[in-house]
Amino acid sequence: MSQIAHIFPFLVAGWVFLCGLYGIATSRHLVHTVISLAVVQTSTYVLLLNIGFRTGGAAPVFADISPGITTVDPIVQALMLTDVVVEATVMALLLAMVVKAYEKAGTLSPDDLRLMRG
Amino acid sequence: MITPSPALPIAVPLVAAAFLAGLRKFLRRWLADLIATATAAANLWLCAALLRGSWHSNIVYWFGNWFPRGRIVVGIGFEVDPVGAGLATLACLLTLLGFIYSWRITDSGRDLFQPLMLIFMAAMCGFAMTADLFNLFVFFELMSTAAFALCGLKTHEPAPLQGAFNFAVTNTVGAFLILTGIALVYAVTGALNMAQIGFLLGSRHDLLVIAAAAFLCSGFLIKAAIAPFHFWLPDAHSVAPTPVCVLFSGLMVELGAFAVLRMTSVMFGQSLLQPHSAFRSTLLLLGSLTVVWGGLMCFAEHHLKRVLAFSTISHGGAMLLGVAIGTPAAITGWLTYLFAHAMAKAGLFFTAGILLHRLQSMSEPQLFKRGRSLRFTAALWLLGGIALAALPPFGLSNGEDLIESATHAHALHLWVTLMFFFTSAMTGAAVLRVGMRVFFGLGDAGPADRAAQIDEAPDGPEEQHRIPARMFLPAALCIALSAAPACIPGFGRWFFNAAHRFLAQSLYIARIYAQPTHYVLPSAPHSDLGSTLMHGAIAVVCALLLASWAVFHLALPRGFRGATHLEGPMFPLRKLQSGHPGDYVVWCMVGFVLLGGCLFLLP
Amino acid sequence: MSGAWRIRIFFLAAAGFACLYFLAVRNLPPWGHYRGPYGDVMATSSVFQRHTTDVVNAIDYDYRGFDTLGEEFILFTSVLGVMLLLRDPEKNKGISRTGNMGQATRFGAAGSYAALLVFGLYMTTHGQLTPGGGFQGGVILATASMLIYIAEDFRVFKRITSHPIVEALDALGAAGYAAIGLSAFLFSAPFLTNWMPLGKTGDVFSSGTIAAISACVGLEVTAAFLMLGYTYLEEIVSETGEGG
Repeated sequence: MSQIAHIFPFLVAGWVFLCGLYGIATSRHLVHTVISLAVVQTSTYVLLLNIGFRTGGAAPVFADISPGITTVDPIVQALMLTDVVVEATVMALLLAMVVKAYEKAGTLSPDDLRLMRG
Repeated sequence: MITPSPALPIAVPLVAAAFLAGLRKFLRRWLADLIATATAAANLWLCAALLRGSWHSNIVYWFGNWFPRGRIVVGIGFEVDPVGAGLATLACLLTLLGFIYSWRITDSGRDLFQPLMLIFMAAMCGFAMTADLFNLFVFFELMSTAAFALCGLKTHEPAPLQGAFNFAVTNTVGAFLILTGIALVYAVTGALNMAQIGFLLGSRHDLLVIAAAAFLCSGFLIKAAIAPFHFWLPDAHSVAPTPVCVLFSGLMVELGAFAVLRMTSVMFGQSLLQPHSAFRSTLLLLGSLTVVWGGLMCFAEHHLKRVLAFSTISHGGAMLLGVAIGTPAAITGWLTYLFAHAMAKAGLFFTAGILLHRLQSMSEPQLFKRGRSLRFTAALWLLGGIALAALPPFGLSNGEDLIESATHAHALHLWVTLMFFFTSAMTGAAVLRVGMRVFFGLGDAGPADRAAQIDEAPDGPEEQHRIPARMFLPAALCIALSAAPACIPGFGRWFFNAAHRFLAQSLYIARIYAQPTHYVLPSAPHSDLGSTLMHGAIAVVCALLLASWAVFHLALPRGFRGATHLEGPMFPLRKLQSGHPGDYVVWCMVGFVLLGGCLFLLP
Repeated sequence: MSGAWRIRIFFLAAAGFACLYFLAVRNLPPWGHYRGPYGDVMATSSVFQRHTTDVVNAIDYDYRGFDTLGEEFILFTSVLGVMLLLRDPEKNKGISRTGNMGQATRFGAAGSYAALLVFGLYMTTHGQLTPGGGFQGGVILATASMLIYIAEDFRVFKRITSHPIVEALDALGAAGYAAIGLSAFLFSAPFLTNWMPLGKTGDVFSSGTIAAISACVGLEVTAAFLMLGYTYLEEIVSETGEGG
């Protein structure tokens, strides 16, 4: 049982990843596809932050604590910050494509918008 | 000659791109073109100088002056080896040719084309030279973002948007797979520098290493367009402007396979990359699947850019075979093949761009007989087709020969030879078939499939009767350069040195920690011209026969018209190319499970 | 593939994915037991080496500053892409003044605008001390400007945010980061070396280039999100036919 407790937060990340992929696979609306992609991205936050977590660790900000106190891992937080910005902007680009596609094709369903078949 | 700082090939184009984008309202078109072309040329010089500087030992560069503390790497490092610097040089060369080709055309992209191309080039340079796993991811994303934007450059029609959207969704899923893999590796090693990770992991070969490798590799194989991860590629290629296609096909796709090899050789060199490992068998399997799939679809398509796109997939699979065999000789072959393929494919895309510019269409049935007056274009196209069919002196034949001769087991040798023959014959046949119909008006117009009707706004404003020489120059230069590995004797030795150094994990790690290294340049293998010539000749003859079979099928008795099925609209693989982003992502998942499952289950 | 087949294949693949993932995480160090060493080295040394109290910012703008340069340009590229796709100079040309807001709304918005502006600037300049920095501050500053749209009208908002100067500032922020990196070459140090005086730990003007880079990032993010906000708002305005 304790073994499950040790890996449970990691399993949550995997579950969120799969939820997002399910959303993309079954999507009937392009905005929904993009948001599902954002869900997949969320799983990487969950995984990264959990990996750097340390029971009882303080936040890695030494403005009000003395240096030398055990903290959680600051690296994963920095990586996550990069990830947030990167993917937020990619979502903006994807949504712009969706807006434009709607303007040109008049539909937002990936089933109807398949000019490139074959 | 002094070696420049490895930061410059990234920083200079980025600053130039910011300058061009920020002042785009105030800059004249010719000035923007001039600045962009000059930047690309300067970057070419910088990368070439780095290539020269890394000839004897890898250049290690620590950003922010953060040297490793003991065994712990603190900052981000570049380790420039001949392969990385060579790929960066190739990126700059192709970008430069793209700028020359599109000098004052590509009006649809308006004033954002040049800055986006420069960012794309910088990202490819950084991707090829970095030694840091997360930095590799950042450059992967920068490269992807610039590619998405460049792909949707022609915003007048819905097709480019759809192609760009599918491309963006699948590649972003790939990015998350990579990030998950990075997180797993980081959790066990507490390091992000690839050399440090390789040092810490050593020969560790447990479930975690396998799963992390599966996540990382499938992410990069999406970029490399290996079946079944490849669906996005034809959609993206058929809509992107010509110079962008050149960069996609010539280099971006190959960088995916490069990343797989760089990661595995540095991080998992003593576990996954051992001889006869499951990893090698898995890559062989996926590579063979890609060769067959790409080759069949290449012949079945009738949209010129899609033909070339599927040929890239097939050739990418063939190159993955070289990566899978992975001996120094095979990697030498891989590099030769990569260079020659990039050049031949760039030449073909430029030629297709000239056709689009002149005749306003990319569809084989619509172009039927219309290219009969374009002699020089025809010559370039047919030469490109022969280059793809790997006839000497084109470099693909040398690469093929090196990879084949690197296999010792008899069955494997036969299989790899067969695969290379298949890709040469099928892609060569498709290109020659298009050439016979368009430039000579032979046979009938060919079946009109749905994808061939994708309209594309031409790169220029209206039908052109004169094609400026600057459009021919890059095409001719590329085709000529694809013969360079065979014709210039220094090339083979150079590729061999680069391949050896690329595979030497201990050398790479030692350089990061500034330990003394002893490296003796081995003597290069000699390729057998006779057998190369024979292989090439057989492939070209088969390609010609296949092309003629398709073109003249109406002249044949009813029972012998099989080629119509091969290029016909009823082809079953065609149905899988559905244009639905959900399908593509599900196929990526299937690929991931296939890759991971094989790594787990194969002995 | 039809929808039903896609879901069937999805579930098969998902089962495989779940197995692989489960086997992988079982071999991870147990949750809550991060083992280091990279993060611990950073946490213990950055206060002394870089005079910053927020370690995450020291990593983002100094130790791993090169990643952030890439990230910066990803943002820049995306905004270029969005502009390429959506911006049409002919759109919404004829929009006249939209209905006036009530005095109370305008007064409230002006007050909040000032407060948000101060908060955004505080965030941008104090990143090296407490959580925050250029990205966070820039987003707040850009969002504050949306209040112009609420309090005034779309025309005013458009006049401010579609100005070529905003684009130039966006580029200036991005190029500024690279230029700070290149400036280290003057001291024959590697790219992005922190050569500026580090100051006193806990001061606003501490940590050398970290603060300078943070300001550049703040500028770029503000300009970028203003452009994004305007571009998307323009879509809404043109669709609902507001004004006109």
